[in-house]
Amino acid sequence: MQTNQDYYRTVGLRSTILWWVVVFFVFIFILRLFYVQVVRNSYYVEEAKASQVTKLTIFPERGNIYAVDNLGEEIVPFVLNETVYTVFADPYEVKNALEVRNVVNEIAAGEIVETGFDLLDDKKLRYAVLARQVSRPQAEMIAKKELAGVGLQKGSRRVYPEGILASQLLGFVDNEGIGKYGLEGYMDKELGGVPGRLETVTDVRRIPLTIGDDNVSQPALDGSDVVLSIDRSVQFKAERLLREGLERSKATKGSILVMNPSNGRILAMANYPTYDPAKYTEVDDYAVFQNKTVAYPYENGSVMKTLTMGAGLDSGAVTVNSTFADGTGCYKMEEWPKAICNVEDDPKKAAATMLDVLRYSLNTGVIYVLRQMGGGTINDQARNTLYSYFHDKYRYGQLTGVEQDGELAGTIIKPTDQEGSSIRYANMTFGQGMDNTMIQTASAFSMIINGGTYYKPTLVRGTYQQGQVIEKMPEVVASSVIRADISEQIRDLIWQGRKTGFFGKNDPEGFKVGGKTGTSQVIDPKTGRYSDDNSIGTYLGFGGSNSPEYVIMVRVDDAKVPGYAGTSAAGPIFNDMSNWLLRYLNVLPSAG
Amino acid sequence: MSYFRTQNSATTFSSSRRQRQATANRQWQRNQNTVAFAPKVSLGPVAHTIIIALLVAILGLIYLSQVTKTSSYGYELDRQNTEMATLTAERQGLEIENARLQALSRVADSSIAKSMVEPTSTDYATR
Repeated sequence: MQTNQDYYRTVGLRSTILWWVVVFFVFIFILRLFYVQVVRNSYYVEEAKASQVTKLTIFPERGNIYAVDNLGEEIVPFVLNETVYTVFADPYEVKNALEVRNVVNEIAAGEIVETGFDLLDDKKLRYAVLARQVSRPQAEMIAKKELAGVGLQKGSRRVYPEGILASQLLGFVDNEGIGKYGLEGYMDKELGGVPGRLETVTDVRRIPLTIGDDNVSQPALDGSDVVLSIDRSVQFKAERLLREGLERSKATKGSILVMNPSNGRILAMANYPTYDPAKYTEVDDYAVFQNKTVAYPYENGSVMKTLTMGAGLDSGAVTVNSTFADGTGCYKMEEWPKAICNVEDDPKKAAATMLDVLRYSLNTGVIYVLRQMGGGTINDQARNTLYSYFHDKYRYGQLTGVEQDGELAGTIIKPTDQEGSSIRYANMTFGQGMDNTMIQTASAFSMIINGGTYYKPTLVRGTYQQGQVIEKMPEVVASSVIRADISEQIRDLIWQGRKTGFFGKNDPEGFKVGGKTGTSQVIDPKTGRYSDDNSIGTYLGFGGSNSPEYVIMVRVDDAKVPGYAGTSAAGPIFNDMSNWLLRYLNVLPSAG
Repeated sequence: MSYFRTQNSATTFSSSRRQRQATANRQWQRNQNTVAFAPKVSLGPVAHTIIIALLVAILGLIYLSQVTKTSSYGYELDRQNTEMATLTAERQGLEIENARLQALSRVADSSIAKSMVEPTSTDYATR
């Protein structure tokens, strides 16, 4: 029999065993806790964060684009942002698909995504887009209907209150929010801003809660609001006159550029045909997106004679009083079978003046200037001198840096290249054998008539901050490029050339309007040779009173009217624009 | 001052003056406590633990109420942000409408503008 003593001994033993078992398990727990909380601490902290913390990107608002009007007195919006919504459905939650279809169709008929409604019956899906780009009032009406399973997602789109005005210089923003073409493409970073970051604990509806020690709240930096140098009225008039001019001459394409020669600011820049940037997805021919004034190098033709003459006068090769023998009206070079001849208007004077060169557009006259650069023949010195003016001083073959996406530098052949022959350089004096953009030529032309300062052409007047325009100073690329007195001489020659020529009668008294026509043959892509069927007409000129107030360059492609396209198609557009600008800019006639 | 617990654990008061006078034959000084306090009920370790646990629980509740209050600011902030976004969208809408109404193509194509004529000649007040 078990005695009391044995009983107490047994109980004591069991208690001891139980005690050690408990101690053992407590020890295990402590070990496990140590492992979880100390050894794997960082892992579990990250796991917890991942499930509780939401990382959100705060999208910045893209900068607006403004232009000026009334000579800079007024700031007008060209591109603004509009809040729009995407209507989506969670098919699993949708209770009445027919009602959803009817309501969304009724309110947002124009923005419907038809395929979205077909997905409403598929209960395995959780997301179907029913309509895109829905306006705020439409979104509010849909929200009021309280449709089960239907939600609204906020977004933004660019709107163009002025419609198609200046579309090619503005460009557009694609579905990814990236600026394409024009200013939107060139200034995508500045306009786009910098996204912000929010890392915070959120609730199930992803609403940020103000708890937690590691919250990150970095606000987005909105894009800059840009003010263009474009004057809305000048742009509007330029587009209308270009379109009317092209219709008159039955031409297919054309461009116009208006700039202030005293600071390089562009007042208008237009192309035709054009497009609606709000409907850029409907455009079939992507070439229409290009701003051809900066992205279409072509042989400018005889408008280049003004620049060749400037080079001749500044280099001292000729003076305004120089004369040359133009009895035959042609110039024959040994290395080329055909002679280079002048147009029919050439009076074929025995002693043609430099004014005659511009007045009658004498090819032989500018070749004479080139020959004089070489001391009487087209030699290395002549070619090097012309190249140094065209490339180094007029900056052909280089980008101007105007704020446009897709600007091209054009082509100018060096005299040291195999193709840089005398015949090529003879052609270059009257704008053939080299490709330039309109912005290059208008900028160089501005320089030779403004006293010799080359301003970087610009479309940006400044930024818009709290209702104030923070003006950007005009950027001087090079000063005293040609002598000031030479600039005055060439300006007078161009003025007299126009005044005594075909278009002189169009200009009002008391104003100095100068200009030069240019008609260049176009190489037929089929034959690789210059074609007589097509040509590009150009007019380049300035206007003002005592000093030039504006430079206008007009280009017309494929005009189908008799005569030289520079005179019959581009010239009249220049005349209309110039006469209108004199009034719009309040230019007063000079007493002389 | 001194306290001590008596044998029967009841609170008693005794004059230590007399006792000490008798044993140590000391001279009493001013402001010297001659009464010892011994509480009848004392708190053991279990009671202390419970009290501490209760205090921790109360502090925890206070902390939780504060955290909840702070998180409610998140909702308020979200509500105000939403309101701000709505007002911004409304302002944008009005700006766009205003700009559209003042667009040059609209003005130029208006009946008033179409009835205007080009000036035949221009006179200048000053030359």
